[in-house]
Amino acid sequence: MSDAAFAPGAAAEGIPSAVARLPLRLRLAGVAPWLYLAPTLLGLGIFVYWPLIHTVALSMTEWNLNPDQPARFVGLENYGRVASSTLFEHAWVNSLIYVGASIPLKVLAPVPLAVFVWSLGARGHAYRAILFLPTLISFVAVAIAFLWILNPIFGYAKAWLGEIGVRLPALLTDADTAIWTIIAISSWKVMGFNMLLYLAGLASINRDLIEAMRMDGASDGVILRRLILPLLTPTLFFVLISTVIFTIQQVFTPIDILTGGGPQNSTTNLFHMVYQYTFVTFDVGAGAAGTVMLFALLMAVTAAQILTLDRRVEYGR
Amino acid sequence: MELSRSWRVIGHLVLLTCCLAVAAPVAVVLATALKSPSEVFQPSLWPSAPTFDNFATLFGKARFADYLWNSVATTVLRVSGQLVIALLAAWAFARFAFRGRDTLFAMVLGAMMIPHLLTMIPVYILMARLGWFDTWAALIIPNLAMPFAVFLLRQHMLAFPRDLLDAAEMDGAGPWRALWRVVVPNLAPALSALTIILFVECWNEYFWPLLVTETEASRTLQMGLREFLESDGYSDFGAMMAGVALASVPAVALFLILQRRVMDTFVASGLKG
Repeated sequence: MSDAAFAPGAAAEGIPSAVARLPLRLRLAGVAPWLYLAPTLLGLGIFVYWPLIHTVALSMTEWNLNPDQPARFVGLENYGRVASSTLFEHAWVNSLIYVGASIPLKVLAPVPLAVFVWSLGARGHAYRAILFLPTLISFVAVAIAFLWILNPIFGYAKAWLGEIGVRLPALLTDADTAIWTIIAISSWKVMGFNMLLYLAGLASINRDLIEAMRMDGASDGVILRRLILPLLTPTLFFVLISTVIFTIQQVFTPIDILTGGGPQNSTTNLFHMVYQYTFVTFDVGAGAAGTVMLFALLMAVTAAQILTLDRRVEYGR
Repeated sequence: MELSRSWRVIGHLVLLTCCLAVAAPVAVVLATALKSPSEVFQPSLWPSAPTFDNFATLFGKARFADYLWNSVATTVLRVSGQLVIALLAAWAFARFAFRGRDTLFAMVLGAMMIPHLLTMIPVYILMARLGWFDTWAALIIPNLAMPFAVFLLRQHMLAFPRDLLDAAEMDGAGPWRALWRVVVPNLAPALSALTIILFVECWNEYFWPLLVTETEASRTLQMGLREFLESDGYSDFGAMMAGVALASVPAVALFLILQRRVMDTFVASGLKG
């Protein structure tokens, strides 16, 4: 991929050679790019790359965030301690549930919606705009709004369900339903965004092909199966990967606002576990070890993403 | 593409249901925010006498004036800083040929793949050592270098017409003047789109402010919502919903003004995963 990405950069190389005729400019030109780059390189070095290494170092120490107390080296002990804890067991299983449930709800469900909106052409723009709205609202605001709507005593959902004779259970305080409530709310939030990604994928399909197929007597079902879905597959893979990463990170906010990881750890995930270890119980070593495990997981997802991108390129040929 | 009539009816019904599912919570929030305290716990959708008392509560009893100021100021400072720094870096990659350029660019792309959650513990410790806790600096400075912005702007700069740059060079403009006088004014569409993405991301940020803000000296609106929920939210849902509405308005307003452009850019930003 890198070769293709840098090929256009060669076009810019002609300019410095013109500048090079002036000796002063030549000397400046050697330093200039580094001056332009300095803020970005400093920022990424101090706040991204060095912390990654520091996290690995911290994961092998025992420390409670107290600056007066030195960190003690304990080797890989933290990893074993985290992996064998019940919190990790819950967080790991729940992370799988969060990710597993996302696939039908956030990845597959928007596909037919997007295809239909796309078939409407410009008349579908109103749908697109309304469904995109949740993407813009912060997850805190969304979570608090649902906390009120689902309030078991005064909430609107209770009043509305009462009209049709259904009693609203206390969804968020019941260990069996809390995680599914969070999954539903996070699907509500991300559905419109994923639909927009599919619309972007659909936009590249040549409508003449559809006309040609129809002239040959193909039905809607055949056009959908033989043309639209195969051409949408690369987008689908991309949405799949980005949704998995989104789900691991972004459900932290509704977990923190709505349940705090409870009841009985039934809604916690790996990210929330790291937060609890590090910033609630000040067990930095365990938090860092959990972070490294999460990093490994995300690396696996990213590797899958790179493979997906390769497929995408294949398809373009 | 023309679908058969029955499929069209089903499609419209499903989409209208989805739109209703999006609109209903929004309506509930607005209605509750405009209700008087005596009416909040009644299930009627529209308030009988709409009032702004709940907003007054936010700015009187709670410290929402401070939170709003912190949110606006840190967002403006951070987004402007991100844009300037990313423009400089993107220009270095697009305009100059130098040893190590491709490696450095790969490092920038690599940073795009590393989410905040993997770096937060050491950055948090660093903030504590620098004494930046509960200051704007903690909200702004660690997030100034924005790999995605560098990547997006570099792509746009590479697509920039060479003739214009050559003309600028011929007129004696060095790289610095060419960047600010020629490139930036012509990059306005990409820059405004990027501004919206960065704005929404910063305005809605939750996790990092949760770690480094503590009082009204640096608490943002999103943190204000959380704090209000924990102190009064469960007894005063009217003011709570007013806060939710207040925190959501700026991003939604930007979207309504620049709808098409936001749509297209969010599609592009989806590439960062």
